[in-house]
Amino acid sequence: MNNTNQTGISVFKENLKSIGKSFSASFLRSGRPISDRSRAAAMFNNFFLHVQGVKTHINTLRPGYTLGLGFASFALLMMTVFTGVLIMIYYNPSIENAYNTVKDINYVVFGGRLLRNVHKWAGEGMIIFVMLHMARVFYTGSYKQGREFNWVVGIALLVCTFGINLSGYMLPWDQLAYWALVIVSNIIQSPKEITDSLGITQYFDIGGLSKELFLGGLHAGKESLTRVYLLHIMLLPMILFIFLGIHFWRIRKDGGLTKPEHFVPSAADTEYLSLPEKKGGIFTTSKTYGLMELAHGKTPAVGKDVEHEVLSWPNLLIAEAALFMLCFAGVVVYAFFIDAPLKELANPLIPENPAKAPWYFLGLQELLSYSAFMGGVGLPGLALLGLALAPYLDREQDHVGIWFSNQQGKKTALLSLVVGTAVLIGILAFAINFGWFRNWWPNVPQLLITLINPGNIWVGFMIIWTVFVVRKTGSTRMGAIALFTMFLVGFVILTYVGTELRGPNWGFYWFKSQWPPH
Amino acid sequence: MRNRFYFWVLFLSTSVLLIFAIFAAYRAFSPEWADYQAEYKKELVKVVKDEAAKSKARSLPIEIQQMYLADLNGIDRCTSCHIGFDNPLMAKSKVPLKEHSGDYLKVHSAEKFGCTVCHYGQGRATNRKEAHGLGHDTHWDFPIIPAKYLQSACAQCHDAAMLQAKGWDQAAKGEKLVNEKGCRGCHKLNNVGGVLGKALEGVGSKPIAYFPMGAVQGEKTTYSWFKQHFIDPRNLVPESEMKISVTDEEADLLTTYVLSLRAGEMPKQYRRLAITDGAKQPADGETLYKRYCIACHGEGKDSIFDETFNHTVPAIRNPAMLRALDDKNLKKIVSDGRMGTQMTSWKATAAGLPERDIEELVVYLAKNRPAGKPAAFSFPISKADPKHGETIFKMRCALCHGKKGEGGLGLNLRNPVVQAFDPEVLAVTVRDGRKDTPMPPFGKDGVNLKDQDIADVASYVKTLAQRK
Repeated sequence: MNNTNQTGISVFKENLKSIGKSFSASFLRSGRPISDRSRAAAMFNNFFLHVQGVKTHINTLRPGYTLGLGFASFALLMMTVFTGVLIMIYYNPSIENAYNTVKDINYVVFGGRLLRNVHKWAGEGMIIFVMLHMARVFYTGSYKQGREFNWVVGIALLVCTFGINLSGYMLPWDQLAYWALVIVSNIIQSPKEITDSLGITQYFDIGGLSKELFLGGLHAGKESLTRVYLLHIMLLPMILFIFLGIHFWRIRKDGGLTKPEHFVPSAADTEYLSLPEKKGGIFTTSKTYGLMELAHGKTPAVGKDVEHEVLSWPNLLIAEAALFMLCFAGVVVYAFFIDAPLKELANPLIPENPAKAPWYFLGLQELLSYSAFMGGVGLPGLALLGLALAPYLDREQDHVGIWFSNQQGKKTALLSLVVGTAVLIGILAFAINFGWFRNWWPNVPQLLITLINPGNIWVGFMIIWTVFVVRKTGSTRMGAIALFTMFLVGFVILTYVGTELRGPNWGFYWFKSQWPPH
Repeated sequence: MRNRFYFWVLFLSTSVLLIFAIFAAYRAFSPEWADYQAEYKKELVKVVKDEAAKSKARSLPIEIQQMYLADLNGIDRCTSCHIGFDNPLMAKSKVPLKEHSGDYLKVHSAEKFGCTVCHYGQGRATNRKEAHGLGHDTHWDFPIIPAKYLQSACAQCHDAAMLQAKGWDQAAKGEKLVNEKGCRGCHKLNNVGGVLGKALEGVGSKPIAYFPMGAVQGEKTTYSWFKQHFIDPRNLVPESEMKISVTDEEADLLTTYVLSLRAGEMPKQYRRLAITDGAKQPADGETLYKRYCIACHGEGKDSIFDETFNHTVPAIRNPAMLRALDDKNLKKIVSDGRMGTQMTSWKATAAGLPERDIEELVVYLAKNRPAGKPAAFSFPISKADPKHGETIFKMRCALCHGKKGEGGLGLNLRNPVVQAFDPEVLAVTVRDGRKDTPMPPFGKDGVNLKDQDIADVASYVKTLAQRK
């Protein structure tokens, strides 16, 4: 029915020929991204990309600013999801089969060993990268200017990351898994120490109840495995992804990542900028939210200059693609050479000595060895509370987007690092060499140890040091930097001591080779 | 500029990823067993005569082999490498392509039994190291067992008589040694035996971590531990009180036997003939003595000062001792044991010996009792003076029996059995001594104590239990 003498067949042939073009046009909705307008459209028309801005500030693209840590965490998460679904095809969460199916994944599933290794190392890598990302956000002051709540969401994500890793650690049902499960259930039970001291355990055994709820019984067994599996593949991932959505969405609403208020592009940056065309370009000179006139006031992005921004397509996307591939390649190479551990079948009669939680909980286990309640609930609770409240207690709004805020911040961080390291090592060395109250006065009430133990003294010192820094500098930001640096020092040193220096019966050994032979 | 930097990162990472993807694919596509199967095909083509068989051999697929053992709850993939195990043509090949030796497989079909039920090792594994399970880093509790201990597997289903008839008698020989060397004086098995050592039930299938492996030479496996422990127990477990002296060959036999003591029972349809515990059969006194007593008491004629126990093990078959001990007292000692010493209580509710066996034992022990009774003790014990007895005890007895009678070279006199003795028995023992033991006579054959003094000592000894 056309007037160019074309037959139906030739039209069909034409359509067939241009199928690639028309498909990509329909996929991208606005044609190939060849102009600024179509590049912009490529971003906001795409379901996955539209959570990112059409344009990106060049500070965001400086590798030295973000170090790509948050995105790397996300890339690792994607890897664990992908490999996790694949190994779920074979894994069976029953105590009869769990160990055997993991063995089969290693031995007979095509590429199964590599898949499992990638899953394991990407997951544990997430812990490192999420911690580093948190440090980056903290030291660049990116929890300020409307981002306070997003920092709290980030803390929730951190907890989820630990939880997912931990629950995954228990699934192979080998000796490592079983005894970690036992240790963790004891950590969960730790409030019992305080209810025991107060003599109210028989009326209100919150520790025992929590342990029972977690294990699905009084002892680690098949019910526990079902619960841990549920946590690992369903509950925690669901929570994680909900919070992750909020986390990303809020970054977008906050106008992208933080940047210095007076950003001066470097020579490299100016070369790189294709914009701004202040006049005659397709963009207005300052940010608006167009139809959403409601969005003004507090939203940090509205009214800001659009200077120093480049189109996200391709500038941001290539950076993300590069980082994703870098993470992917890194994990695959690591997983190619280093196997995820798998020990003997779980045996409740033969305790591992030392029975250790996974490495990222060994800092807690070290604290736990001083006082169960403080190590299991008190101090980690306090640490999380402190982290979550940081943006509300430090409300100074300047120096956002600059590492360590200023020269004074750098000095504070460095000094806190040195002082914190020295003090913590001192406390640990004292406790290791001379013991604690229980060694000196065997009948000392437990409540006294719960209140006064090396862990508490360390946290007490952190607080005193922070107060000292706040008074000395007159700046809450400096106090926050001091406190957070101390927190990192504590996490790293305690984890190291728990992982490397603790042997059978939680005794102190410089090297594993000095452990008494079994 | 920056885009170029990111481009290079992207390019290099992708390249590295692709290269390692290729490595990984290569590793996944060329497992160890595939090489062995390819070799197997080559050899098979060489060995077979006619062309049809040759082309059949050439077209054999190279794939993972596995036996699913539903009743044994396992999977054995050993034949992925040991591919020629059931092929008579491979009789002269090298391991792992070689045919299985002997005619075991005729009655023990591989589909029903698999490999690991006899050989141990990790059936699911598909590479040599992990399949054989040797080395700590394989984290496998049941590494493949050497041929010399292999007969431990037979005993899971067959009884000793049948195995001995076929010449597979190593586990049975080991069992015989266990019963003759008095191992069960300290180790419980099938609910009969002493409690000084660990019970032997299921000890053959305990995980490696159950054993203190620190001082084991060579491979740290269960069987190495057993053998080295038989040869020198205190080398592996410094606090051990175990008494054993065996030749190397005997240690191997014992190892084979204890390896056969596995916890899990084979399914009924696998078992042939009832497995009987020789110890449950009626036995005469001598057999019982060897099974339960000989490890500590030896032949029982001479008393032995034991360095690990740090006191003397009495000569329970010594005529002089038997003269002082009547059957009733002997039976009481065997039944109740001696508190505070290594002597086990053997009654049915403790170490598990039935009444009948204890009586048999007592008859055997008392065989050498001299006919005549010792000369009666003339002084009335009721008139004895324990205070004077104490003075003599400190002078004459404390050196061996300890200042408070707690024992040393001599017996512990505070223990309930001694305390329960008739004072006359004590007095006679002091007067006449015990021939062939360190206990000398103190009467007219010795330092010539008067009957009054001896009676005083005996009455003092009777008060020891009340003193602190």
